[in-house]
Amino acid sequence: MTIDYAGIGLKSGLEIHQQLDSHKLYCNCPFLLRQDDPDFTITRKLHAVAGEAGEVDVAAAHEAGLDKEFVYQGYDTTCLVELDEEPPHEINKMALKIALHISLLLNCKIVPLSQIMRKTVIDGSNTSGFQRTVLIARDGYVETSKGKVGIWFLYLEEDAARTVSEDKNRKTYRLDRLGGPMVEVVTAPDIKDAEHAKETALKIGEILRSASVKRGIGTIRQDINISIAGHPRAEIKGFQDPKIFVDVVNKEIERQIEEIKSGKELVPEVRGANDDGSTKFLRPLPGSARMYPETDLPLLKISKEMINEAKKTLPRLRSEVEPELRKEGLDDQFIDLLFKQGKVGLYRELYYLLPKGNFIAKMILLFPKEFATKKKMDVEEVEKILEDNYASVLNLLVKKKIKESHIKEILGRLVEGVGLEEAIKFESVDVADLEEEIHKIIKSKPGLNANAYMGLVMKDLKGKIGGKEAMEIIKKLMK
Amino acid sequence: MAKTIAIPGDRVEVHLSKVIYGGILLESPEDEKGIVLLKLDSGYNIGLNKKDIIEIKRIKKGEIKKERIEIKKDDKKPDIALILTGGTIVNRLDPKTGAVSPLTSPEDLFKSYPKIFDKVNVIKVEMPFMKASEDMDYKDWQNIAKICERLLNDKDVKGVVITHGTDILHYTSAVLSFFLRNLTKPVVLTYSQRSSDRASSDANLNLICSALAAVSDIAEVMLVGHANSNDEFCYAIPGTKTRKLHTSRRDAFKPVNAKPFAKIFPNKIEILSEHNVRKSGKVKADTKFEEKVALIKFYPGQDPDILDYYLKKGYKGIVVEALGLGHVAVNSRLSWIKKLKEVQKKMIVCFAAQTIYGRLDPYVYSNLREIMKTGVIYLEDMLAETAFVKLGWVLGHTTDKEKVKEMMLTNYARELNDRLEQ
Repeated sequence: MTIDYAGIGLKSGLEIHQQLDSHKLYCNCPFLLRQDDPDFTITRKLHAVAGEAGEVDVAAAHEAGLDKEFVYQGYDTTCLVELDEEPPHEINKMALKIALHISLLLNCKIVPLSQIMRKTVIDGSNTSGFQRTVLIARDGYVETSKGKVGIWFLYLEEDAARTVSEDKNRKTYRLDRLGGPMVEVVTAPDIKDAEHAKETALKIGEILRSASVKRGIGTIRQDINISIAGHPRAEIKGFQDPKIFVDVVNKEIERQIEEIKSGKELVPEVRGANDDGSTKFLRPLPGSARMYPETDLPLLKISKEMINEAKKTLPRLRSEVEPELRKEGLDDQFIDLLFKQGKVGLYRELYYLLPKGNFIAKMILLFPKEFATKKKMDVEEVEKILEDNYASVLNLLVKKKIKESHIKEILGRLVEGVGLEEAIKFESVDVADLEEEIHKIIKSKPGLNANAYMGLVMKDLKGKIGGKEAMEIIKKLMK
Repeated sequence: MAKTIAIPGDRVEVHLSKVIYGGILLESPEDEKGIVLLKLDSGYNIGLNKKDIIEIKRIKKGEIKKERIEIKKDDKKPDIALILTGGTIVNRLDPKTGAVSPLTSPEDLFKSYPKIFDKVNVIKVEMPFMKASEDMDYKDWQNIAKICERLLNDKDVKGVVITHGTDILHYTSAVLSFFLRNLTKPVVLTYSQRSSDRASSDANLNLICSALAAVSDIAEVMLVGHANSNDEFCYAIPGTKTRKLHTSRRDAFKPVNAKPFAKIFPNKIEILSEHNVRKSGKVKADTKFEEKVALIKFYPGQDPDILDYYLKKGYKGIVVEALGLGHVAVNSRLSWIKKLKEVQKKMIVCFAAQTIYGRLDPYVYSNLREIMKTGVIYLEDMLAETAFVKLGWVLGHTTDKEKVKEMMLTNYARELNDRLEQ
């Protein structure tokens, strides 16, 4: 079916939520998701509260009707702020800086004086009964192949608690995610068609990922607002993957056309996206009635100095950085991995020390996983040790204190907990002695191929000889 | 900025040199008078510097919607009276204007806390004043006690609930325990640590449990509030045996050197300790109070001359929060012994425990015995805040040193407990 998008009066805009890579927004807890058993639980109830003008918000009333008991799982990485037992601390400066970076990359105007707001949420996902959110910037745009798409607002807000389980009377949440910093980017209804929705989402996604944000499944969430002439707005939530945008937009348009034909009373609503691109009703669309000021915090002032500082440290987009990386000799696979693992910054720092692109990319992209598997350790743990040591090891190489062929062995020793001074010690062996050793190995197991001998040699002479060197000797002796 | 006729609540256009913002005008924050606050249509509030504003145009006058709610009296439910004195529990933020105003009528209360009306009829609401509790003093306590007396002697009222700010709530609960003895009905003090505008407010459970306490048979002055961080049950704690022990948690008030009277769930009461029971008769408030009493805390190296200040200012009595089992400096360069002897010719000096938990004991060390010999009254396990209000109350009745000592060590309102179990 082809849809005449302009003809049916399509109005569509995106709301994109992206988690930021900093501590929590209003306390000093790490933004760390936990898989282990909780250290404690608490049980709470929430109550309907009258909104702005004394009336109870429709969405709030819908949720309060459930009258549930909420169980919260806490850890040693959560504190009294997540438990709604302590007022919020000052807004996290790192998160604010990242939000300013994103605002600038989206060509937005930054709001110099803004009030942190409480958005009433009583499904239990916030212990307080509200989500803190603050307007940071407005009136920006992104360029797309079909013209500019306006950015109406950029908000900095708290993430919600994660649902663990739910039954009729009780819902259990985990507090690890609650309070994590997130930006919400709201576009103008400038989206022209289903393909354009996907393109815009991908473009904004690229901009977000150039800043210091969390990566991986669940760190970005996309909602899309859709209405056609004669139908109220539907907000469709829960996209992880922009690829299904096209299906969702088209199916929602079809649904709205059918609804208009049915002649029943139509209301604005929030719908959830299914995997097949169809959608299901979630709840009525909330009004602005659920917003009121966070009285525990002062007005947020974003000074000119803060904006200038953000401009100075502004990250660059992938489309700008990619050609440079290619020039430095990296192939597409390495470039892709650098962006996926968020290591462009690290690569840049190390390349500055030693301008050998492929060598550095291999070191920071492939070694950590290899070490982790071999030494049965957590990749994150391995990376932490390595990141503390890359620069010093490269410096020693630049000063010719160590050989390039020893780097991997040195890093491996560091991961095992050996000190740097000890890790760089290699027995200096005479080449003649080495040849003799290798000769013995070949003789003891005749008839193998070069690679097999290589394995044996590296096992026996580990640390005494580099791989390249060993192979040369093996080949020479096998002739 | 040019003058404007617009007032908070009006829909306005704010003209700056390059941009015009539309929205609802809000009250400026107390501490930011140079700023105009505006609620945008998205619901978000932004601030604009008055000096950047060229003009504020009123587009539409704000509507003040006053919904009247009728609360029906249910003859099957018992009747209670409420005294509202201020604090977080009765404050309500008006998001329309940004101003904070107190709940002042049963209708207001019903809107914020409908659940309290599930168990009882609130037939009287008294509002002697609206104060943050840190602004209160003994005159406010006398005022509350007199109102309690009147309400308790009203045959229609089954019990009284007082809502109060948390900061000095334990002083008020202690002093009311001395002002209102031989109670015929419950007097319940309660609070909230999270304001009523949030769905998570602790006031809901505290008020429901307070209503149950007020119609129970426990004829005591008691503080009712969250027993822990869960919204599960409250403790009813003797008014003289509690203290605010946390700045922000829901369960800030704990029983100290005593057991709670009861554990109160939204639908039942579990009695935990001995208490006076409901009876017939009249209550008479005994509110005599000597204003010239003080409470100080001993710290290492403190100069005992500080006592001269109080003496010169005409103080009649002082409670010192002493260290450990009841120590102040004895053998140091700044020994208190001489000064304690001197000031006690004209002023009562009592010691209470700085440790909060446990009992003073003046016999364990020789230094303690030396301090006691100067005439200091050791107040056993009495909380320092309770001791302070009790000293004011006792000195309101007598100035005779022996009589004061006798009264300070007489157990009038469970302030002394000779069996500490923890």
